[in-house]
Amino acid sequence: MLNKALIEDVLQAALETGGDFSEVFVEDRYTNHMVLQNSRLEKNLSGRDFGVGIRVFLGLQSVYAYTNDFTREGLLKAAHTAAQAIQGKKDGKTTIIPLLKESVSMLHPIKIMPTEAAKSRKLAVMRNANDIIRNYDSEIVQAIVNLIDEEQNVLIANSEGKFVEDKRVRSRMSMVSIASNGTDMQTGFYGPGAYQGFEFIENLDLNHYAKESARIAKTMLHADPAPSGKFPVIIDNEFGGVIFHEACGHSLEATSVAKNASVFANKLGEKVASDLVTYIDDGTLENEWGSLNIDDEGEKSRKNVLIEDGILKGYMIDKLNGRRMGMESTGSSRRQSYRFAPTSRMTNTYIAPGKSTPEEIIADTEYGIYAKYMGGGSVNPGTGDFNFAINEAYLVKNGKIEKPIRGATLIGNGAKTILDIDRVGNNLGHGAGMCGSSSGSLPVNVGQPMVRVSEITVGGKEA
Amino acid sequence: MSIEQLKERLFAEGEKIGFTDLELYYEKKESLTIRLFEGEVDKYDFSDVQGASVRGLYNGKTGYAYTEKFDEESVAFLLENAVENAELIESEPEELFTDKAEYEKVQFYSSELDTVKPEDMIEFLKQVEQKILSYDPRVKKVTGTQMQNQKSEKGLFHDKGLELKESNNFLLFYVSILVEENDELKSGFVFRITKDFNELDADGIVKEVVEQGLSMLGGRNYPNKNYPVVLKNEAAASLLSTFTSSFSAQAVQDNRSRLKGKLDQKIAADHVNLVDNPFLLEGIQSATFDSEGVPTRKLNIVEEGNLQTYFHNLKTAKKDGVETTGHAHRGSYRGSVEVSPSNFYIEPASQPYEQLYAGLEEGIIITGLAGLHSGADPISGDFSLAADGYYVKDGKIAGPTKQMTVAGNFFEVLQDIEEIGSDLIFSPMSFNGYIGSPSLKIKGLAVTVD
Repeated sequence: MLNKALIEDVLQAALETGGDFSEVFVEDRYTNHMVLQNSRLEKNLSGRDFGVGIRVFLGLQSVYAYTNDFTREGLLKAAHTAAQAIQGKKDGKTTIIPLLKESVSMLHPIKIMPTEAAKSRKLAVMRNANDIIRNYDSEIVQAIVNLIDEEQNVLIANSEGKFVEDKRVRSRMSMVSIASNGTDMQTGFYGPGAYQGFEFIENLDLNHYAKESARIAKTMLHADPAPSGKFPVIIDNEFGGVIFHEACGHSLEATSVAKNASVFANKLGEKVASDLVTYIDDGTLENEWGSLNIDDEGEKSRKNVLIEDGILKGYMIDKLNGRRMGMESTGSSRRQSYRFAPTSRMTNTYIAPGKSTPEEIIADTEYGIYAKYMGGGSVNPGTGDFNFAINEAYLVKNGKIEKPIRGATLIGNGAKTILDIDRVGNNLGHGAGMCGSSSGSLPVNVGQPMVRVSEITVGGKEA
Repeated sequence: MSIEQLKERLFAEGEKIGFTDLELYYEKKESLTIRLFEGEVDKYDFSDVQGASVRGLYNGKTGYAYTEKFDEESVAFLLENAVENAELIESEPEELFTDKAEYEKVQFYSSELDTVKPEDMIEFLKQVEQKILSYDPRVKKVTGTQMQNQKSEKGLFHDKGLELKESNNFLLFYVSILVEENDELKSGFVFRITKDFNELDADGIVKEVVEQGLSMLGGRNYPNKNYPVVLKNEAAASLLSTFTSSFSAQAVQDNRSRLKGKLDQKIAADHVNLVDNPFLLEGIQSATFDSEGVPTRKLNIVEEGNLQTYFHNLKTAKKDGVETTGHAHRGSYRGSVEVSPSNFYIEPASQPYEQLYAGLEEGIIITGLAGLHSGADPISGDFSLAADGYYVKDGKIAGPTKQMTVAGNFFEVLQDIEEIGSDLIFSPMSFNGYIGSPSLKIKGLAVTVD
């Protein structure tokens, strides 16, 4: 994407004020975005993002400059600007190590590149999903099918001699169903994605995903308002993992640990979760939505065990925070694009499966809430307080699912909730999502088997 | 290659291959962002970026494509993609605006901000951080203080001759803190946007953020029930921003709005006015032309509780047989032309915030809402959100509550607004327009405490 000699000059220029490390990240990304709504293709967009990010360290000081001026002058100007912000010794003599190209092991085979599949083929799959949703029930009034695919080419080089390139390919189709009875409207959603090309879209089991999206909307249209109060809550697999992603995963990122802003800081080896909980971040899972070959600092992606049987085992660490913490990188450094300096982030994060069957967990619950599909939520990073919407919820009474309820929100504190897990199921599943944080919005998987939390506050409309 | 050169090449090549109308939309942005953490500069980011998008009519259909790489190769890339995208699209073609029009004469760009030095920014952040730490022993941590000096330029070229461009700039500041007492942690957050660095008042910011945090300590439980509620300005603005899409003609035409069929009907209490003003000097969405090049204007969307109009672009206006309201909007050159408000707010009245709860025998004040992107359904208007605030007894704040959830329906809230404050503020978190509100007194909402 850029030649080696120019990159070496940029890396060297970035160190002219005494910086001790410099890095260049080049990105060339092709994206397609199609939206089928009102049973017709209403949006059909494509484009190319291209830019360069230059990062300089001096100890714990870090400066980042990014531009899409890819000329020699433009890149050297950005490198000089970054260098000027570093307050080092002007006679600093850090010399870069000549770049040596590393090869990347391809963990995630791609069969059909997004650019090789005609858009008409993609549209055919979208129409199929649209038809399944609309034919599901007469109360379904709208279907919105989104298809996004991208090919992201990256080049990462640094003053320590690293020079590595990778191609990342992702595809996702999300299906929104809207059900209405004339006065009231409810939505259903399913959005599977993978680190794969068009083969993922073509092979999607629409009879499952599209139908579920419609079924959720229809079910919620006929649901009663959720009760409020404190209850045991059963959270099902796949996207149910979003709570622990938000409320615990982010607190295990070096971004918050290094600043002592995390409840898990300085607790390695201590009990932080229920004994039933083993929590893992694994970027090597084949072709999963959050997977990587290398992270955005060029480090190999890997499987990191964060919590094992309730004991804190490790964090997700990037280079800069590794310096702060005196610890090695864990291949967890990510960024949305060249517009963001990278930092420690999740890839595919999940609670490992336990022994209970989902049927046993429900049968064992006298009164509580069953969250079949979770929605999104947010967490106050300082306090760990979270809130999440449930997209499809049920009331459980005497070990049986009694009726659907809507408008339920789960409210609690991450560090406490993970201690309160009292059942872990055997049905591990992953769900695709986008995770927003300081280095931008990234594809991640959240995952878990069905779990039960002994008590969470549920906010509903019935006070 | 400059944007002008890209335009020349693109229009020449595009007309050759059969485009009948061509538009090039572009954005340039430069910024410096500095964040401080525990006395050290923790983030120092420079950016200098641009991007452009072609939109054209090909065989009577609209095709889009964008690029951030401006070179000869991109001319072919843009045209090939725009053709492929046009061939498949099934929505009605988008008309390109070619009229000669008068535009409001406002200068949004403040050259004052060009003189702000990085050292001054760092010094200010350090000052704020130190003052916060010495303000009260219960301050546990300043979790971040950040300032961004950004300038942007947007422009539009049309192959039939239209050429528009406009610059704007802002200085954005925020600080977030944690306070602690008896193992209870609470946070405080203050945001400012200005065109004048000297207008930022460190002492005022420090007092506001610390007292906000401290006032939340010692939260207590109160019975779960339906209370009269005062939505403090920031909470009211964030709630309005979540449901703003309901006012878009696009959402109405797509059956995604409960305001469908409600034109000229009462959708809010009699004394409620909702205004869209694209000319506010410190409005993030201020502009004299919209993303289609149509002149913008100040509009009353809701007047005395009655819905006057939806937000329109050329396409939605044509479908409804009305004039566009100048609300065509592109999130960026990556996206297509949509509909969005500019600076949209509930018009303030005369009551100070304190007066809004002075008459309450018992009630709840909500100072902040969380989980708006997940706990609220923008179509139905239903929401169930985490909230912070105070319990009110006999017209006085008795103290903070433990974490609450508040549930209701936005369209009912509009009807239930009993009193409106004078303290208009805009929400920094809005994506769909720049949305503001004064504090509002609401008849009642379901509140759960802890």
